[in-house]
Amino acid sequence: MSTLTPDQWRDLTPHLNQALDMGVEERAAWLTSLRGQNPSLASQLESLLAEYSDLARQGFLEKGPTALDDDPGLAGQVIGPYTLLSSIGHGGMGTVWLAERTDGRFERRVAVKFLNIALVGRGGGNRFKREGSILGRLAHPHIAELLDAGESESGSPYLVLEYVDGNHIDRYCDEHSLDVEARIRLFLDVAGAVAHAHANLIVHRDLKPSNVLVSKDGEVKLLDFGIAKLLEGEGPDGAATALTVQAGRAMTPEYAAPEQVTGGLVTTSTDVYSLGVLLYLLLAGQHPSGKGTHSPAELMKAIVDTEARRLSDMVTAADGDGETATTNANRRTTTPDRLRRLLRGDLDTIVAKALKKDPRERYSSVTGLADDLTRYLKHEPIRARPDTVAYRARKFVRRNRTAAVLAALVVLATVAGAAGTWVQARTARSQRDFAFRQLENSEAVNDLNSFLLSDAAPSGKPFTVNELLERAHQIVERQHGNDASKVQLLISIGEQYNTQDEDAKARPVMEEAYKISRGLADRSTRAKASCALGNLIGRADDPNRAEALIQEGLRELPNEAQYALDRVSCLLHGSGVARNAGEVQQGIARVQEAQRSLSQAPFDPQMRKLRVFMDLAEAYREAGQLPAAIGAFEQASKQLTELGRDNTETAGTLYNNWGLALIQIGRPLEAEWLLRRAMYISSADQSEKGVSPMLLSNYASNQDDLAHLDEAAGFADRALAGARKAGDEVVVTQVLLTRARIYRHQHDASRGLATLDEVEPRLRKDLPPGHFAFGSLLSERALLELERGDVPAATRLVNEAVDIVETATKAGKAGRNFLPTLYQRRATVELQAGSLDAAATDSSLALDLLRKDIPPPTLSAKSGRGYLLLARILKAQGKDDEARTAGRSAVEHLQGQLGPDHPDTISARQLAGLVLSAQ
Amino acid sequence: MGAAEQGDGAATEALFETLYRELHRVAKWELARQGGPASVSPTTLLHEAYLAMSSRGDPSFPDQARFMGYAARVMRRLIIDHARERQARKRGGLFEIISLDGKDAANAVDPLELTEVNQALDELESVEPALAEIVDLKFFCGLSFGEIAALRLVSERTVQRNWERARIYLHRKLRTDLSE
Repeated sequence: MSTLTPDQWRDLTPHLNQALDMGVEERAAWLTSLRGQNPSLASQLESLLAEYSDLARQGFLEKGPTALDDDPGLAGQVIGPYTLLSSIGHGGMGTVWLAERTDGRFERRVAVKFLNIALVGRGGGNRFKREGSILGRLAHPHIAELLDAGESESGSPYLVLEYVDGNHIDRYCDEHSLDVEARIRLFLDVAGAVAHAHANLIVHRDLKPSNVLVSKDGEVKLLDFGIAKLLEGEGPDGAATALTVQAGRAMTPEYAAPEQVTGGLVTTSTDVYSLGVLLYLLLAGQHPSGKGTHSPAELMKAIVDTEARRLSDMVTAADGDGETATTNANRRTTTPDRLRRLLRGDLDTIVAKALKKDPRERYSSVTGLADDLTRYLKHEPIRARPDTVAYRARKFVRRNRTAAVLAALVVLATVAGAAGTWVQARTARSQRDFAFRQLENSEAVNDLNSFLLSDAAPSGKPFTVNELLERAHQIVERQHGNDASKVQLLISIGEQYNTQDEDAKARPVMEEAYKISRGLADRSTRAKASCALGNLIGRADDPNRAEALIQEGLRELPNEAQYALDRVSCLLHGSGVARNAGEVQQGIARVQEAQRSLSQAPFDPQMRKLRVFMDLAEAYREAGQLPAAIGAFEQASKQLTELGRDNTETAGTLYNNWGLALIQIGRPLEAEWLLRRAMYISSADQSEKGVSPMLLSNYASNQDDLAHLDEAAGFADRALAGARKAGDEVVVTQVLLTRARIYRHQHDASRGLATLDEVEPRLRKDLPPGHFAFGSLLSERALLELERGDVPAATRLVNEAVDIVETATKAGKAGRNFLPTLYQRRATVELQAGSLDAAATDSSLALDLLRKDIPPPTLSAKSGRGYLLLARILKAQGKDDEARTAGRSAVEHLQGQLGPDHPDTISARQLAGLVLSAQ
Repeated sequence: MGAAEQGDGAATEALFETLYRELHRVAKWELARQGGPASVSPTTLLHEAYLAMSSRGDPSFPDQARFMGYAARVMRRLIIDHARERQARKRGGLFEIISLDGKDAANAVDPLELTEVNQALDELESVEPALAEIVDLKFFCGLSFGEIAALRLVSERTVQRNWERARIYLHRKLRTDLSE
């Protein structure tokens, strides 16, 4: 054995290629003749080819490297009477562990299968146990026994199964070069096991080679019986919830029956179909939809619409690829021609009958399929009748039945990164959200997705969401009459544009939907069209027309259960329109009404609930009703977790807004945690790349609040650079203000003032004169002057600031929420100036206002700082007892909200007399 | 990528590091997403990494084919490092990289053997880079022949044939090394 030099290798390559393309017999003949012409070449080739058959037998490099080893948390863990040994695998549904009994009753190795908790959903554990016990009674020699089921202490549902050490059935057949008859006999064992389960009313639903193992001694074992069902949601109306759609990921599209793809009824016929696919694969060596890469969309289309190619044709057709044909035939110890003749006729007919698109046309039972195969083996006439040409032609023109492709496929294509489809968009995460958004409205899911995935998706090419939407729009234009479904599709397309921030593209689509809907009688469609258009217009320029459209929509919808969900979405749109127009209270009222309507809905729409909570929280926050906002954010977050969407872009937005509300209410420690989570979600790698400058800026402000000044300065500087780069002027202004405050806390008054010099012209450009923001700016300047020691300038500036804000709020303009902070700032200046009575008055006024915004017993750093200031003033007035009382109130608020080591907490503790001032 | 293709050592190194970090990041992200011991297939990792990098407008990769070709090489390193690390620590590690069909895990490849395959691959790369790339894509990343064919714009049969040749080369190399 010697190493080949690169030159030798290159010289051998063409011959090696030639040899690899030949069948075994052909190759032998070829080598013999070559030996005559070029003996040294022939012997080199022979040695390489011997090596080849060696390595093929060993399966060299056939199994990918698996870096599975002990898992951190789980190895050694005891689950019931079992101790986990090592992780042995992973499937769509969760992880599998090898385990052994530890209670000494008997020695047995088992497989413990943990199910991905997100797939099982709420209360899944109990249901699991219940159904698991039914499955446990399914005793059959060819079904891997289910020994136990339950929920681990950490809440993961698990199954304990008989441990099967075997190979996938297709590989087993290939590795043992089983001929057609042997393959059918093995398959009959599989069918027998499935029939037994059917007799016990259990459908497998996920039959595929990796669930059908053959042990070394040739025994078939089926895995995972009924598990697909365990994962199904229990919506009272059977509607697909996000969870069932997620569970759809567990279903393997390649082996799915049409009714599983279209959301039809899953019955024993479904298993007949999957068995048909399995049989097809075992006999022809190829999947019925042909070889090559399939995008999920193509695959779905093939499952639902395309009749499988005739089994025997597949043997040699193989798209002109004679080599695959030879390999496949060799693995069945025959030649392509002989294999084709073998399969032609009865086996063609049997497989075709199992693979009928319509479940009623399939074998009525697995036993029927097995019986025909047995007859075939005995050379008796089979029962199934072949399709006539006329029948096939009728099939061909039959209406395209791709009706309802589950959004699971979008999830598949994007989350699981399924082979073949490459969806490019702004971010992978927006894709994920895009997919989930589809779930919010079941009709929209069905209709739009079927377009996006089957018709509009250009096959085999990367595409963007926008391209997809454009194509979908064109197709809708061409193919549909002016009916409700067209309106619905247009709205869906418009909404997708909307979420892609393509308002200009959304507008004509929505206008068109609205126009068509005027000619329709259906209330729900009419209302949807006008509210969706209203929402879009409300974001842009015309609040009056937007409001009119919303009211028009709401008038269409009577207060009845059947319109409840339509009312919910109309009201949410209406709330957005109202808030955009500055009608904050109306905004809140509409979300609250939506919440009531939701409770009337005939079923429990999870996604809709999430949206209601999120909208409610935002409306409250915008209105300054902070405790209510925070309550709603908590609810929304709970809902988000239940839906398993903790790491989506939606979650990022929620955490950011929630964090802001917590900053506003004076709970920076809680806000810190949420903002960090938001940053983690949107961080593109372990750095901050990809985190929006707005979020960085919020975090900078939060860090400043917590007196982490270096951290704050760093984040502010990076937020500023990011915002400048992105041209986001609003954020630039916001960061500059934050930065100035950080400079002040760093005792760098001159830089702080310089920064404010930059802010001022920016504000003048964007805001009307007299806006309270100018008051904010001036008061910040006052504090910086104070830092510099210029008390008269500080006094002048802060009075001017109070003038501006008081004038604005008296005129009914914004600024009310800023008043407490402003009075505290003036009190601070007055304290330094020695105007102690004025300072006491201002600081009490600030505390009164704060009590309204943040009613006790809510603890807040804002209130705490108010008391701290008051305590300082009282102390300066010589009222030591009262100062201590105020100090104690300050400590109570600050300790938990800023932490015990924050300088403000320490000052408060000193003033409260809780520590000696000398320390 | 331009510089990397022209063999600019520093650029190649930087690109390698970027991809390595990216793949690692995606794996960790999966860990957070799954909220527990994460199991993530190399194929998923690659696809997610590609989506993330292309959506960020990373100019390094003009197209998916080149990205995959290069990233597959990085994936090999990641897997080998990971296997070694696990070996070294016996337990621990943030995530696992699993085979596509789960059940194979019992036949986990010995890190030592992986290292040898890696060395043989480096050699193959100098002799016939296209073959080494197929091994990276198929063996280390779990792509199917069909997927590789689509990436390379060649027929599936060509990929399969090249794969068999690569296996012959590597097998011989490993056996020769062993017998030496």
